[in-house]
Amino acid sequence: MAEPMIPNQRADYSAIVDRPPLKLPGNARIIFWTIVNYEVWDIGKPMARQLLPAPTGAVLMPDVVHWAFHEYGMRVGCWRFFELFKKLGIKPTLSANARICEDYERVAAQARDDGWEFMGHAYEQGPIHKEPDQAAMIKRSMDVLTKFTGKKPVGWLGPGLTQTLETPDLLAGAGVKYIGDWVYDDEPTIIKTTKGPLVTLPYTIELNDIPMMMVQHHESDYLLKRTIDQFDRLYAESRDRAKICALAIHPYISGQPHRIKYLEQIYDYVNKHEGVLHWNGEQIYDWYKGIAAKQLKAAE
Amino acid sequence: MNYAKPNVGMLPHDRIDYSAIVNRKPLKLPGKARMVVWTITNVEEWDPTQTMPRTVLTPPAGGSPMPDIPNWCWHEYGNRVGFWRLLQVYDEFKIPGVMNINGVAVNAFPDLTKACVDRGWEFIGHGYTQRNMQKVENEREDIRKSAEVIKKATGQKPRGWLGPGLTETWETPDILSEEGYDYVADWVIDDQPVWLKTRNKPILNIPYTQECNDVAMMLIQHHKASEFYERAIDQFEQIYKDAKDSARVMAISVHPYIMGAPHRAKYFRKIFKDIRAKKDVLFWNGSQIADWFLKVGPKPPQ
Repeated sequence: MAEPMIPNQRADYSAIVDRPPLKLPGNARIIFWTIVNYEVWDIGKPMARQLLPAPTGAVLMPDVVHWAFHEYGMRVGCWRFFELFKKLGIKPTLSANARICEDYERVAAQARDDGWEFMGHAYEQGPIHKEPDQAAMIKRSMDVLTKFTGKKPVGWLGPGLTQTLETPDLLAGAGVKYIGDWVYDDEPTIIKTTKGPLVTLPYTIELNDIPMMMVQHHESDYLLKRTIDQFDRLYAESRDRAKICALAIHPYISGQPHRIKYLEQIYDYVNKHEGVLHWNGEQIYDWYKGIAAKQLKAAE
Repeated sequence: MNYAKPNVGMLPHDRIDYSAIVNRKPLKLPGKARMVVWTITNVEEWDPTQTMPRTVLTPPAGGSPMPDIPNWCWHEYGNRVGFWRLLQVYDEFKIPGVMNINGVAVNAFPDLTKACVDRGWEFIGHGYTQRNMQKVENEREDIRKSAEVIKKATGQKPRGWLGPGLTETWETPDILSEEGYDYVADWVIDDQPVWLKTRNKPILNIPYTQECNDVAMMLIQHHKASEFYERAIDQFEQIYKDAKDSARVMAISVHPYIMGAPHRAKYFRKIFKDIRAKKDVLFWNGSQIADWFLKVGPKPPQ
């Protein structure tokens, strides 16, 4: 078997200023893409994130405190999200570990019934590099989500955005159309795989509560401040070319009582602007597919 | 104190004696200028098959997975999108750019290289790849190759050098001098240029910065974006005051993947909006600082 492609073999370097601008329908100029991440943290494994290091700093198993820290998001925090997005009439993209359909059926059903888009996000949370059979895990994840929602997911985000070099080939082979793992541009791009083209959508690790709150330890209100700064800049640039402003949130972080009001204020701020579309990943993909039909066809 | 000397190269104090800035002959800038600001933009190419030099997002449950696509992309964003935001600021305030670039990046991002060449930016050597100089197989070869690729792209051999992550071996200044570099910026040791002895002729060191540097501030210390602006202005005001009787140099160092992010770009712009309003502050590149110091500064040590 040939060596899998490295990123530069999948996509050439391209400067954004050298491309023709993308256009949105009507007077729209910017897409605000909300991605909610619902996960399963298996108590039998090391926990994905740690808030409180154990005494002496050692990673201990079982890690009940961080299992519970995450579980709070699924018991309490996610209901703050559901309420907010119902009130706003926004149907976000749900980055879903497939196992939520089994372990948190109540939560997954609410997202489905509220019309959220389900995006593949592995079977459960853990780096994809450690999967013994990645193709089987991807298939299982897609199958579980398809069975639960009645619709095959169009998009995929690796757990913690992790990929191995062959992941894009496996995803395209499983029928995935777009991925969020490549945070290397403000616009959708097309990358090569051995199974035809795959579209990258500009997901974010800048406007993302994991790097901001769990890694960089910013104060709660900084989620609002950074989002305003990010949105202002992209909105200004969207005068000349369509822009996408992604925001990624987790119920155990942004669903905390002391953080939720800053999330709510983000939408108050964004919605004061003209020409903002609240689209999910599938809607962005469909729009881009129309524009890039020729390139996508050529890459088949 | 006596330290064991390295087999090759020199210890720091064999290259430069201690000197208190207040006890030196004052340095004068042309006209009424009292200080110089130079801005260094760092462009790197991260090899997707190696561990990433920095990360913004750690994988679930930690570790360093290979490949590391999200963090490779996070950096690549700077070269595709972020750089062009910084360029707008340099153009708007007519700031002479200094492109501190990995040799491999010169050809990897041709549009970026061309934009800098078209504007007459100074290119300085920054390692052939983004790797600790102590881990480079053949240091001289790396330094030479960096110069060659820059000369080919810009028509001019680089006069300055900044090691990747400021790393040096005991021998780096010797090799740089032998390879014809005029200045280095790795020694963040002073507010004025200083001479470093080498086994060849002495080489100039120009004040660079780890303090007004977005890697240190945003990625290591995790400050919020506006702190970059606030610290730069605090740094500027103090150096401006200090420079009343003898000229000083302030450096600002940025990376397109950090300060070129949409939510940070405006704080970068505000720095120049404020400082450009001062009539007695010069914006120079590294070569201009070196040429001035060669004219007015102390003679190189024998």
